[in-house]
Amino acid sequence: MAYKYYKDNRSFIEACEKTGDAIVVNEEVDWDLEMGAIVRRTCEKKGPAVFFKNIKDYPGFDCVGAPIATYRRLAIALGMDPNSTVPEVSAEYLKRTSDESKALPPKVITNAPCQEVVWTGDDANILNLPSPMVHDGDGGRYIGTWQFVVAKDLDTPFVNWGMYRQMAFDEKTMVGPVLPFSDMGKMWHNKFQPKGIPMPFAVVVNPDPLSAIASCAPAGIAEAEFTSLLMGEPVEVTKCVTCDLLVPAHAEIIIEGVLVPGVTIDEAPFGEYTGYRTSPREPRTVYHVKAITMRKNPIMAMSNMGIPTDEGQLLRSFSLGLEMDKMLRAQGIPITGVYMLPESTHHLVVVGVKPAYANIATQIGQLCFGSKLGPWFHMLVVVDDKTDIYDKDELIHALSTKCHPVNGIRVEKFGVGTPLNPFATPAERRLGAAGKVVFDCTFPLDWSASDVPIKVSFNNVYPKEIQDKVLAKWKTYGFKE
Amino acid sequence: MATWDTYINVDFKDMPAEQERVAIIRDLTPNKYKYRSTYAQVKISKDATKYPEQLWIRLGRGQLVPTPCSMEIVELKSVIPAGL
Repeated sequence: MAYKYYKDNRSFIEACEKTGDAIVVNEEVDWDLEMGAIVRRTCEKKGPAVFFKNIKDYPGFDCVGAPIATYRRLAIALGMDPNSTVPEVSAEYLKRTSDESKALPPKVITNAPCQEVVWTGDDANILNLPSPMVHDGDGGRYIGTWQFVVAKDLDTPFVNWGMYRQMAFDEKTMVGPVLPFSDMGKMWHNKFQPKGIPMPFAVVVNPDPLSAIASCAPAGIAEAEFTSLLMGEPVEVTKCVTCDLLVPAHAEIIIEGVLVPGVTIDEAPFGEYTGYRTSPREPRTVYHVKAITMRKNPIMAMSNMGIPTDEGQLLRSFSLGLEMDKMLRAQGIPITGVYMLPESTHHLVVVGVKPAYANIATQIGQLCFGSKLGPWFHMLVVVDDKTDIYDKDELIHALSTKCHPVNGIRVEKFGVGTPLNPFATPAERRLGAAGKVVFDCTFPLDWSASDVPIKVSFNNVYPKEIQDKVLAKWKTYGFKE
Repeated sequence: MATWDTYINVDFKDMPAEQERVAIIRDLTPNKYKYRSTYAQVKISKDATKYPEQLWIRLGRGQLVPTPCSMEIVELKSVIPAGL
């Protein structure tokens, strides 16, 4: 049975307008920094998405900024009440996606909206798209900030949808990092590139919100099928005009072409999801454009990475944490939940666990850092099953009182990281290496009961009848809430 | 005279100048094609008046050097193979 969802991003933004979670800007705005500055500010103020209707130099094009930069808009994308809590949104995601055997292959349609307009040959010029100059100092205009790349493996049926950023270089050329541990990186760096074979790609700009969420999720199945779990029915796709790749039929803009073997071009710097411009300007993967297809009156999209919170941080934290939740439960670890803080730019994750045996925090660290999720974060805080993993006050209290400054901190020097880590040394960034750390905030099991400190809180040190009495009479005492 | 910029991955004081080299330069002409990049064989001077084109320098993380250089474009180049 299909869940309530939005087939395209224009209907999603319309829904956001109705709840006050998106605003329409009819004033002319400049694609050169002005749109970026507006979107950055609304992200920092945790404000609404922005729907630009009048872009300088680009009549006929609109642009949406910060489409899913808040949990409210994530809830709307999932067809939920925007006032849903983070645990409620998380529970809904887990309910829909935990049984991967229910995943459905995409449904192929013809006459797709995303091919209402077709540009080929010299007309397929990416500089005729209103790609924003997102931040002053960036290495170029970024077409790809709220998009994903579709690519098919060379010798298996596997198809990847993944968010890999792309900078416009010239009319026909885009450049971007394709990290070697990513799904597309494994195809490109291990198979196509060494054999000198151009790899067909399709960039899906401004997809429907659930396909976008799926493309961010490090799931164990193909993202197109993962999308069907979120939708409750197959995602509609259509065949590209220059290759056999299938793309979401209701996306706004599709850019088709090939990755070019044997050539690299300098890309970056770029204001990144960590809140810094960190990764070096260096030779990166080259995309040659063959065709651009789009809807009539197409809508560009922009995610403005920077200090929290933007959709890169929010969605990646959301799906990384919940995929970790599934993985740990599948391994039989008695966790109460996993929460990755968006404010940590998906670098810090909290795991609640029943401390059932010695060194369980270390085991959780080994599993999480050792998985395909591991390169994207480096701090793991393990708290006991009495701690609310979503409550930052409780987290800071547990970290600063229960984690032994020597015995409770487990450091791994030689982990896999990314070039984007601001704390990493220049050598580590070039190598994609990073240190990892586990903060064990559980009391050791070998302490005698009389040695274990007792948490002094309303819920823990008063008899139930006293708690009930105080709660019942709370307003009578004169308190408002 | 047109205005361009380029990125360098060294400190400005260490930037090689007064010699021909290949660089990626960006056209800063204010129109819808602003920031179009190209490879070019160029001569760069820290003297802002030596060559006809104005060239701004940005460091590896986008920091703008406050005073411009000058540049002569010797030849435009393409690195993308034909026939893709």
